[in-house]
Amino acid sequence: MMPDFHQEGKAETTEWQPEQQAPVILLENVSKTYGKIHALSGITLALSGGVTGILGLNGAGKSTLFKILMGKLKPSSGQVRLFGTNPWKNPAPYSRVGFVPEGEKMYDWMTAHDFISTFARLNGLTRDEAKLEADRVLDFVGLLDVAHKQIGRFSKGMRQRTKIAHALVNNPDLIILDEPLQGCDPLARTTIMNVIRELGRMGRTVIVSSHILTEIERITEQIVILHHGRLLALGNLHAIREKMDNIPHRIDIGCESPKGLAKSVIDIDSVHGIIFQHPEKLTVQTRNLGDFHSNLPKTIIDSGQKVNSIDNPDDDLASILGYLTGGGGY
Amino acid sequence: MADKTNTIFRALDRKASAITEFTMRQYRTKISTWVVLITGLVVISLLMLFYVDAMQRDFEAIDNDGDSVDSDGDLYPDGQERALGTSPFNELDHPGNFVPPIPPDDPEKWINEDDFDWDESPTGTRSVSVGYDDDGDCRAEDRTQSQKDTNDNGIECDIELSLSLTGNFRYDADNYVDEDPDDEAYAKEALHRASILGIGKLGFVFIISIFIPLFMATGLIRDEMTSGTMHYILTKPIARTEVFFYRIIGYLGIIWPYLIILTLISAIVTGFAGPGDSLFRFSEFGIWLAILFAAMMATLVYGMLFCFLGVMWRYGIILAIPFAAWELGMALLSMGVPESPILRFSVIGWALIIVDSASMIVWPDMALLINSGFSVEGGDSFGFEREELIGSEPLQYFFATPGLGDMSPFLSMIIATVVLLIQATALLFLGGAIFKGKEIE
Repeated sequence: MMPDFHQEGKAETTEWQPEQQAPVILLENVSKTYGKIHALSGITLALSGGVTGILGLNGAGKSTLFKILMGKLKPSSGQVRLFGTNPWKNPAPYSRVGFVPEGEKMYDWMTAHDFISTFARLNGLTRDEAKLEADRVLDFVGLLDVAHKQIGRFSKGMRQRTKIAHALVNNPDLIILDEPLQGCDPLARTTIMNVIRELGRMGRTVIVSSHILTEIERITEQIVILHHGRLLALGNLHAIREKMDNIPHRIDIGCESPKGLAKSVIDIDSVHGIIFQHPEKLTVQTRNLGDFHSNLPKTIIDSGQKVNSIDNPDDDLASILGYLTGGGGY
Repeated sequence: MADKTNTIFRALDRKASAITEFTMRQYRTKISTWVVLITGLVVISLLMLFYVDAMQRDFEAIDNDGDSVDSDGDLYPDGQERALGTSPFNELDHPGNFVPPIPPDDPEKWINEDDFDWDESPTGTRSVSVGYDDDGDCRAEDRTQSQKDTNDNGIECDIELSLSLTGNFRYDADNYVDEDPDDEAYAKEALHRASILGIGKLGFVFIISIFIPLFMATGLIRDEMTSGTMHYILTKPIARTEVFFYRIIGYLGIIWPYLIILTLISAIVTGFAGPGDSLFRFSEFGIWLAILFAAMMATLVYGMLFCFLGVMWRYGIILAIPFAAWELGMALLSMGVPESPILRFSVIGWALIIVDSASMIVWPDMALLINSGFSVEGGDSFGFEREELIGSEPLQYFFATPGLGDMSPFLSMIIATVVLLIQATALLFLGGAIFKGKEIE
């Protein structure tokens, strides 16, 4: 008897075929618990095609969800299907999936080309095919000119792009990126976002996670919000935002004389409250963000006050989450 | 069908070569690999230095039977007088009175004058007759037939070797046969063999084969799981048992060539430095080959085991250490009590059977060599008390008959190999199964 190399007797990659009718990703009431901690509870989700952003604070369960999808973790309960196949039992669907893990750690001693072509052979490519494939994917992420440099000498952004290139080997139908923008400089962010949007245009199913709303906003409008392991919202980001326009927003204005500025700001119609929390900061409350922002510049000029900063602390994930969980801004 | 088999084989082959190659390259970039391998080289080199030192040492020639002494003061050594039929205790009776007179021998000539010839050992219950009375003092004409055949086996001036039913070796010599062996020749031959067995069994099959896997194989999968890099491999369409297996092959790709080089160096050193008339002793290549093979099998099984322990538990190395202690105990036990049944529950016990079997094939005269070294011990006809010959004790310690009972050494070698392969396969299953059920953060 030979060791069960194929797991459950199924599938060399050449034999495995995805179920045509099944969604790319299907989660049915999936939960994952570690002792008393619920990392995920009762997630039901089906995705096929397009770019989807998974939003959630650190620890919301984004990585756990991805690892369950990739068969690295076993769900405590519920069903997971990748192209109609259970990924925990059968690694065959991975031939159609590319995964960018969140970890920082890479094989620093390898060159980018080496790294990608070596692991491309695990998709059943020959050495030569793997080299051509590595050239192709590195070109796609714009790293072809540094392909033969060691990964250890790469910047954060280049490393992330190398990881993305690694995931693009074999033209996967599904690409999962776990926090691909984390720690990247603005230029690298833009490049990576372009790559992700391009993949979406090519008709792939792309799932990208982030804890920063503005990042996701620039990539896609289709979002899934996870909070404390629960699926909080699913749908178009704008629809979710519009609902939020009717709740009070806060704007922090950093200035030298908050009380002086307050005299002018109070005249704006949409303002319904002013708080002095800090000697150099004025906090304004409004129910109509659009109206307030259109009137603010003129008011500041008229008042003659010096303004250092304008922050909108509500315009982030935490406040959306706060709203969605019904707890108000904070 | 043939086409499908071909496809599967090619796919496996691509994955296997990719991971194997990757694993070997990864080892090459780790400092720890080099530290471990160089430490192994240093350990073996030190053992080799002890060996070369022993081979270079001069061993004092001892007059084991005391016949170089001139007891009666007539300038003729006792041995010469006895051989020529004059009385060693009568000053006036000596070969100088012969016509023509015979001059006295240099006393040196009567040291190491009756060496033994280790060419045959008894097998089964058959007894064999060996020994040659080189100095002719047993065959002296004035001795009666019964004096020449004191062991009563019907053959004059011989040594009867036999095995009792309980397997004890019996060495029964006629008086004055092989009574004054060449101590240096014996010591060098015995120490040479003892060193090869000692270095081979403890150095190669135990120390090298257990400690190098301990450091190199425990993290083979575990390190990747801890650092998160396992995701790069496991998000490819490849079963985890495959990853486990190919990683082990990559590990063997480093450690087996290393063992081959280490063994080759040792074989060349012992070939040149070993005793003998020829420049190089080729006869020991067989035993080195067996040591190499045993070490390769041991590194395979230990590698699988430690890799499995690493997968099973983050601190798998903690489990590996008591196991290594157990194996050390078993290694020492197998040298003293090779037939002990508890040795069957170890890896080293089986691996050492391979070496022990080979030593029986390569050195069929081993039992004779050991026992004759001990048999010269004790009082001789003049009441001298002597120690056993130098070298017989270490040789007896390191030599062991394969503990599988009364069977041909080839067969016990094959059985031991098969058992080790079964152990490795079982660990592959176990490791693969545990790995398959492991969640990877």
